[in-house]
Amino acid sequence: MSSDLERRYRRVLRLLPGWYREQWEQDMVAAFLDSWLTGDPAADEYISRAAGPGGAEVASVAGLAVRLHLGGPGTPRRHAWAQALRRAVLAVLLVHAVLGVDVLVFLVRSRRLVGWLPAPPASLVTAASGGAWVMAYYLVSVTWIVIFVTLALGHYRTAQVLAALAIVPNLAALLQAQRTGIMPAPFGPWVFWVLIDLVPVLAMTAFHRDAPPAAPRPWLLALPAGYVLVYGPLLALQATGNSAWLPDFSGLCCILVSLACLAHAPRARSRQAAGTGLWSLTLVLLAAVAGAYRIVTLTDYLNDPHLINVSLAELLIMLTAVALVAPDAARAQAATPAPPPYPQAMTA
Amino acid sequence: MTGQAFFVLTALAAGPRHGYGIVGEVAELSHGRVRLKIGGLYGVLERLAAEGLIEADREEAHDGRLRRYYRLTRDGRGALAEEAELRAATARIVRARLGRLSPEAAG
Repeated sequence: MSSDLERRYRRVLRLLPGWYREQWEQDMVAAFLDSWLTGDPAADEYISRAAGPGGAEVASVAGLAVRLHLGGPGTPRRHAWAQALRRAVLAVLLVHAVLGVDVLVFLVRSRRLVGWLPAPPASLVTAASGGAWVMAYYLVSVTWIVIFVTLALGHYRTAQVLAALAIVPNLAALLQAQRTGIMPAPFGPWVFWVLIDLVPVLAMTAFHRDAPPAAPRPWLLALPAGYVLVYGPLLALQATGNSAWLPDFSGLCCILVSLACLAHAPRARSRQAAGTGLWSLTLVLLAAVAGAYRIVTLTDYLNDPHLINVSLAELLIMLTAVALVAPDAARAQAATPAPPPYPQAMTA
Repeated sequence: MTGQAFFVLTALAAGPRHGYGIVGEVAELSHGRVRLKIGGLYGVLERLAAEGLIEADREEAHDGRLRRYYRLTRDGRGALAEEAELRAATARIVRARLGRLSPEAAG
């Protein structure tokens, strides 16, 4: 039967997250009672009625609770963020890989390697032929497909090394363009390199040797599916003479994140499927990147109020879509199974 | 490695201890300078367990309560030995410098 002293201490322990109490509460209570009780029934009865956790004891539990709720090492919150980050990195690399597939298709079409595929417009073929930079562009684009596939298959180290190498030519091209004064827009190309190249490569450190591998099959299937879903509508707009409706790349990112949020919203709001919080958190991360990209590239259109309005509309739509999954993202911690915080020997 | 973690590992180096046993041992080892509160102790234990430096040894009933005993893992022994070496080397440097600066050494 629990004593008053025990009940008072357990009340303080309610500050701690549920997953932590499940693992450690009993032992903490036992240690706390050990620190008070003497083994003499009369004395212990008096202590139990009169004593309670002091200010320093309460402060130590409160400090532990703050660390655990904020997500210290080994906590589920940290675990959830790491998992969401890995998925977001895979999603960004998927975009790179889809762009790479587009380059491959372009090369196949321009060199007439597959007879039934229509040749691209002659102007495009002329503009994209020859030159070291163009060759480097082709090579890097195809390398992103390899990076995405190797990462999805769990070959983290290979993917990390290739990705670190793949962002170098783009940086060199930017520096060259900056030096020669032929930069097409003031910030856009640099933001692309920082947000879409550099940040994901740095974030690939989340794929460490202890990181659980992602299920490769859905990610690998997402590559052809992503190409068809993205380039199908784009090519249709071009073919029907509606190229004016084509979004720029940052606008396309906002639209893709918005569509993903809308597709995920029913699951996120139903809370039926375990683990949905992680996808919501992933989408919030992706929205942060796409939003930052969209805001900075507004400067490319300072002389065109119409395009500014279109860009702001894309941003607004994405924010609205993200709002649908944001509450679920906040619950990602609860939806994530805790990593084993307790030694296996306990169960032996 | 924090001072508290160092003392907890040192306490466990002598053999398995339960939670309150560690508190007592740490107070003794530190000559009363480190008095762990239970919340602080379990913050340290949780981190050490997550890093694989300690593990559960056994549970024993005592006055109707289950006491859980903890022990060092092989990694825990290694980490403690490394930390002890580092602290000893630092202490040697400190003693040498203080020796050079003391009036006795100067005079």
